[in-house]
Amino acid sequence: MNAFMKKIALTYKLIIAFSLATLVLVIACGKGFLDKKPLGAFNPDQLVNQAGIEGLLVGAYHMVSGQGGAAQNSWGSAASNWVFGSVAADDSYKGSTPSDQGDIVPIETWAYNSNNPYFNQKWQAVYDGAQRANDVLRFLAKDTTTPATARKTMSAEARFLRGHFHFEAKKMWNNVPYVDETITAASKNTNVPNVDASGNFIDIWPKIEADFQYAIDNLPDVQPQIGRANKSAAIAYLAKALLYQHKYAQAKAQLDKLIPPAYGGSGNGQTAGGLSYQLVNFESNFNAATDNSGESVFAYQASVNDGSGTNGNYGDNLNFPNSAGPGGCCGFNNPSISLANAYKTGADGLPLFDTYNSAPNVSAPTSPYTGTLDPRIDWTMGRPGIPYFDWGPTPVNTWIRDPGTDGYFSPKKNTYAKSQQNSLSSSETSFWGPTQMDANNVNLIRFADVLLWAAECEIEVGSAEKAREYVNYIRNRAADTLGWVYKNSDYDAAAGKYKLPALTKAADKYKINPYPAGAFADKNYARKAILFERRLELAMEGHRFFDLARWDNNTGTIMAPALNAYAAAEKARPTIFAINQSATFTPKRNEYFPIPLTQIDIENATGTINLKQNTGY
Amino acid sequence: MSSKLTVRLWLAILLLLPATTILAQQKTVTGKITDSNNQPIAGATVSVKGSNVAAQTNAEGFFSISVPNASAVLVFTSIGYEPKELPVGTNANLTVSLKTTTSSLNEVVITGYTAQRKKDITGSVAVVEVDNMRQIPTGTPEKALQGQAAGVTIVTSGAPGSNSNIRVRGITSVGPTDPLVIIDGTPGNMHDLNVNDIESMQVLKDAGAAAIYGVRGSNGVIVITTKRGRSGKPKITYDGYVGTQRPLKEGFNIANTQETANAIQQSYLNNGLTPGNKQLGSGNTPVIPDYIFPTAAKEGDPNTNPSTYALYTNQITKANKAGTDWFHEIFKPAVITSHNLSVSSGNDRSTFYFSVGYFNQQGTLLETYLKRYSVRVNTTFNLSNKIRIGENAYVFYRQNPALPDGNQNEGNAISFSYRESPIIPVYDIKGNFAGTGSQNLGNSENPVANLRRIHDNKGNDWQINGNVFGEVDLLKHFTARTSFGGFVDNRYWAQFDYTQYENAENNKNPNAFTEYYRYNNSWTWTNTLTYSNIFGDHNIKALIGTEAIEYYLRGIYGTRNNYPITNAGNLTVDPALWTLLFGSPSGQTNGNLNINDDVTIDNNNPPTPVQSSLYSQFGRIDYNYADKYLISGTLRRDGSSVFTKDKRFGWFPSVTAGWRISRENFMTSYRWITDLKLRGGWGKLGSISNINTTNAFDLYNQSAANSFYDLIGDNNSALTGIYASQLGNLETTWEEDIITNVGIDATLLNNRLTFSLEWYKKSISGLLFRPQLAATAGGARPAFVNAGDIQNTGVDLSATYNGDISEVKYAVTGTFTSYNNKVKSLPEGIKYYDRESTGSNRFGAFSRLQPGEALGAFYGYKVIGLFQSDDDVNKSPTQEAAAPGRFKYLDANADGKISDSDRVFFGNPNPNFTAGLNLEASYKNFDFSAFFYASVGNDVINYVRYWTDFPQVFDGAVSKDAVNNSWTPTKLNAKVPRLERTANFSNTTVFNSYYLENGSFLRCKSMVIGYSVPSAKLKRFGLDRLRLYIQAANLFTITKYTGLDPELTGSDLKDNTNFGIDFGNFPSNQKNYLVGLNLSF
Repeated sequence: MNAFMKKIALTYKLIIAFSLATLVLVIACGKGFLDKKPLGAFNPDQLVNQAGIEGLLVGAYHMVSGQGGAAQNSWGSAASNWVFGSVAADDSYKGSTPSDQGDIVPIETWAYNSNNPYFNQKWQAVYDGAQRANDVLRFLAKDTTTPATARKTMSAEARFLRGHFHFEAKKMWNNVPYVDETITAASKNTNVPNVDASGNFIDIWPKIEADFQYAIDNLPDVQPQIGRANKSAAIAYLAKALLYQHKYAQAKAQLDKLIPPAYGGSGNGQTAGGLSYQLVNFESNFNAATDNSGESVFAYQASVNDGSGTNGNYGDNLNFPNSAGPGGCCGFNNPSISLANAYKTGADGLPLFDTYNSAPNVSAPTSPYTGTLDPRIDWTMGRPGIPYFDWGPTPVNTWIRDPGTDGYFSPKKNTYAKSQQNSLSSSETSFWGPTQMDANNVNLIRFADVLLWAAECEIEVGSAEKAREYVNYIRNRAADTLGWVYKNSDYDAAAGKYKLPALTKAADKYKINPYPAGAFADKNYARKAILFERRLELAMEGHRFFDLARWDNNTGTIMAPALNAYAAAEKARPTIFAINQSATFTPKRNEYFPIPLTQIDIENATGTINLKQNTGY
Repeated sequence: MSSKLTVRLWLAILLLLPATTILAQQKTVTGKITDSNNQPIAGATVSVKGSNVAAQTNAEGFFSISVPNASAVLVFTSIGYEPKELPVGTNANLTVSLKTTTSSLNEVVITGYTAQRKKDITGSVAVVEVDNMRQIPTGTPEKALQGQAAGVTIVTSGAPGSNSNIRVRGITSVGPTDPLVIIDGTPGNMHDLNVNDIESMQVLKDAGAAAIYGVRGSNGVIVITTKRGRSGKPKITYDGYVGTQRPLKEGFNIANTQETANAIQQSYLNNGLTPGNKQLGSGNTPVIPDYIFPTAAKEGDPNTNPSTYALYTNQITKANKAGTDWFHEIFKPAVITSHNLSVSSGNDRSTFYFSVGYFNQQGTLLETYLKRYSVRVNTTFNLSNKIRIGENAYVFYRQNPALPDGNQNEGNAISFSYRESPIIPVYDIKGNFAGTGSQNLGNSENPVANLRRIHDNKGNDWQINGNVFGEVDLLKHFTARTSFGGFVDNRYWAQFDYTQYENAENNKNPNAFTEYYRYNNSWTWTNTLTYSNIFGDHNIKALIGTEAIEYYLRGIYGTRNNYPITNAGNLTVDPALWTLLFGSPSGQTNGNLNINDDVTIDNNNPPTPVQSSLYSQFGRIDYNYADKYLISGTLRRDGSSVFTKDKRFGWFPSVTAGWRISRENFMTSYRWITDLKLRGGWGKLGSISNINTTNAFDLYNQSAANSFYDLIGDNNSALTGIYASQLGNLETTWEEDIITNVGIDATLLNNRLTFSLEWYKKSISGLLFRPQLAATAGGARPAFVNAGDIQNTGVDLSATYNGDISEVKYAVTGTFTSYNNKVKSLPEGIKYYDRESTGSNRFGAFSRLQPGEALGAFYGYKVIGLFQSDDDVNKSPTQEAAAPGRFKYLDANADGKISDSDRVFFGNPNPNFTAGLNLEASYKNFDFSAFFYASVGNDVINYVRYWTDFPQVFDGAVSKDAVNNSWTPTKLNAKVPRLERTANFSNTTVFNSYYLENGSFLRCKSMVIGYSVPSAKLKRFGLDRLRLYIQAANLFTITKYTGLDPELTGSDLKDNTNFGIDFGNFPSNQKNYLVGLNLSF
């Protein structure tokens, strides 16, 4: 080999060396190259401070809407509970055509299976809410920079919300797990049981009470923002929890702290905005322009045109008159003919407790009822011929999607006036049904509700006269002629009233009187009256089913008779029951809904029974 | 990364290399290569055996090459000819004649990072006949690939530019199963490739072939090379065709107006109700009105006076008494055009290929189209004998606006054509769109209106992809190669949503305009070093390499609404005003698109931006002894950014071996066997599937719709909130896919028959799954974990027979693909997994993922008949809402009660097999070809029947079956249940086997007759080739399916748990008639 060749050989060696070096270098620099941090998301460490935790708290409040998270936007998790509280009770029909959202039909006719997706939607939404509240507590535990006062308020709001979400679960399913801040995916303990080690159902009422008690002890009376929970709201919620356990004396003690002197009490209940609790104009509770009044104890704060597209009460999105009226779709949640009949009043201006539901029916196309009515009927439902805010008279039939099965009435408490269109209703278009989104709050607790609870307590452990007084505040408010529906006056949406001076032609023959002195002397009569009053006052607000279940208290004596009588009446009317003749409410079973099968499957997957199904399912 | 340094090193290598080329050049040999007719062969390769020394012939067939010494052996090769070897000896000038080949054994195919002779391949590689593919008139290569490669199952739709389900050897994932596509060495997307630019396409099916692609190889790999220039004079080629696409003659089997009315009326009567449809009257026989708006008005009604016309309140609309044929209102004949011009040339120093393509497929569905303009430039420069650099560049611009709501969705225009009642005309008396806005006409939408309104929508995409590369031959036996490539993709689309005044639902939604932008890029840098050498009978080839890949995606959108109406008569807005400056700023929204280009961000669709990277090292060794015993091994180590440091790296090995039995001495007596090879292999692949790139992290997000809240209570604003959006998992790693493959390749009967038969087993373990956590864990998106196994087994077969009968030459090629898919296990304790379809969720899930069953298997109640009488109901197991004329379900567990637990698996959408048959024949200057495709044994769900067989489902259109063949007390063996108003468990509210049909089909996808003008006549005009042809595509489809087309893509192509369901699919069986021209000079 000559020198030239040697040089070439050397060159080759160099080349090979360089090539290998290159390969190695590329290998060496590979490490940082593979560390890609997430884009467009917070790293948890960035949130361990007051602003971050405050953000998490707002996120927890968001779930009061029932929308978002794992269940995404769904009607089953609506804040108003319209499917479970109203349709499954005797307030309303599912509506639309029989097959539309067909999963509601079995709920309406008490023929559901545990795999009905509506149950799972609700379950997911409430526990998502509970865990968001827990996130606030978990981050507070890690944080050392937030001032003590802020920590106190934030933790109390979080526990209030956690109590609220568990209350929602408790009233739906009774035997539910309780999820506190120790439950995390990282701890692998998320299959939270509803049974104890011996397989008996756990009762989470004490834990719900503890959350509200903590909130009471740590929340301020007045909050910087009116949508937040305050001390009075926590007291009200604790009272509600006690009432659900029939602990009337304890509930009364809490309620007494709330009822102000103007309503014969000595309490000082006030809203987060500092307004003393009071009964306002009836319709003002169901009007985005006037909600958050002195009557609003705690509400889901709906908002529209805020860039979200869906924060405007998505859960009630189907519950608008069909076609041409407000919304433009979809004719769901039609108030029932029985409900309309319940507003019949006698010559004494009191409800017809036992005979209301026999013919003639209110607003029937042929030979309708012509007697007097409680004026609240026409703020509760769109009724043929009666003005529907400023949309003109409710048309006969055209707002009813399937007249064969949907009755005669349209929902009204969740809808909006024509003059509110695009300001208090959504003008966003980011999803399918924007015109049915509005900023009407969903009243989770309003002062009328509080007064009626107090009346119940007084009957059981207090004074019958006091109970009558409480009920009469409600009835007297309804009797205020300024708050009625009129045919010869324009509707003032900003006030939720018809305009003066021409309030001469009431939309129908309204007659409502307070209960006369001594009327509640008979406790049974008084209970009946209070229960009936709750139905009339709070109709279509998603409470009815849970009130019936609470009163029934697993005796089988109240709820099943009431709902089976309802079904029997409705089977002869143009309603969904006409084509579901077998609909029957089974006592000691249907008072609580079945725990969603999906959750049972997941939680019990490894063989341990964590979630036990409710009795009868 | 220290890329600068690396670049410098490479530059140093490049600079040093010329020195190496001054290698001893002892002898120069010149010569000429011709074919058997003494015509020169341009672009043929002459190489010195066992070295990298090579040269190419020029246009006249001449070559010149340096050889080391007289004992060197020259190898002459050219595509389409048998190779030849000659020792140089003392010759200084050689004339070599090459024989036309009939065997493809020596064909060199590009596989993973390397090229192999077909006969040396031991892995499973399907080589696609690209010429056959090109016969399919479509704008997208994957549609043309259907039936062309054994082992590849493709399901496609007729929508121009639509994507397809591609499955290489079965379903390997619950997520997307799209194979990795490598174009000229760089990962890319074949969807927008110009078919005419494709030189070759190989599908790497088993681990032996694909394991070198490691974590990306689990779904198979499609390796595409595009055309390059060849030595010789510039060659200009033009290929073009124009044709017409014909809508199906028979649409959905929909009843006319009178029949529909009868059925609706009967549905009330059957439930003992007074007929209540406001259009049809309350009598027992329906009265067809003269007008549907005003509701049920008669001629002469004062409100039908045109002067009273008003949108919403009195949109005067006549009833279409004969019935609107909605299907043919939206499907019209449409033109398809393709032009492609290419120029290629080359010499021993450089080659280039340049092409321009124009493709325009107007959809038969109104206002749908795909237009694509593309340019490709591929060049290579031989800087010296040992250094080559080059590039491949492809630029395209595409217009392909989306079909609203997508294909396979009950809300798209095709679905509305079977849902919109025939009594509704297309237009009202003023020429505005008519619809369901009056009463009792259902909730459908006017499909013509929906489509006409997309006319001015935009869908633009422009992309540049390709790579630059350099290759250096080192020493005698080494070649180093570096390639840097990738793509930059920009997409812009926009849509205007009109106020749909004519509809029953949401007819007052404000109009809105949305613009979308999306940016996506990826780069890949690959470096390889190849060694090849021959020592006597030992032939060895080895490769090592490294690869780095980075990916980025970001998309945004903005919306405004309440645009000023410029034509109050029909509420339209001048497209000139479609900008984000018009419309109302209150209620405007903007945001980031999710990873699937949609605005909805939820647990399944996290938001952009996303980024990821992959870094890999790999190697391969191929060894053969005496062309008889072949063995090959590959190994790849991948590191992926989507996993945590500890779980990031993985090894993917494979081993294959082959035995060319025909080379054994004992085989020499079997003269009819040209080649026979037995091969087998084992290897491991991986998949990252569709997991989030941030899977490892706990994440928190802000979202107006998901975490903001109006604590102020002012109704129009919300405080910004934060929510836990993802629970990370540090343990997650890739899916592992182990493939075992055994095959036989044979060339028989003097090259007339070739076939390849393979059996495989593909076991996927550690399936990447997003588990269902208990709701008590909260609403954050659970991370993907590794859990669950799937297995596919199957047989692939391909065979070609070339023959001739006197002057008729013919070839028959068949492919056969089968797979048997089974879910083996799910995450611990999970018994099954239900996932709802995106096409519709009215039934919940259509299928259930459960061990022992195939992915996608249909699960629900099995209909065993209709209840015949009350007596029948009483004698049967208890069933909710049981009644005569309703479905009678199978009591699977025989407990006397129909409940959830009686649901069974009653159908499988996976075919038993699919097959392609390509026939070619030529006689003198005529050629003929036909291509048939069959899918056998796949069940389908005809969801259309949910809408058309049950009038209680929104009262839309009704099928003729429901009208003529529904159950009545006197028609006991009817097919369709009783017409009713009620929706319940025993008719429409649960998924059951009523919707199941046999989806097998045989389709003649293409039939072509061509005539080539004899070359003698062409010479005068300087032409090399002039061929004219006529073609019929989709001439016929044989099937028992009662819907439009049993070939059904999934409603979400990235979800392989729901498919084979007809939600209103754009049929892919429409006939096309084309004339085409191929010209070259």
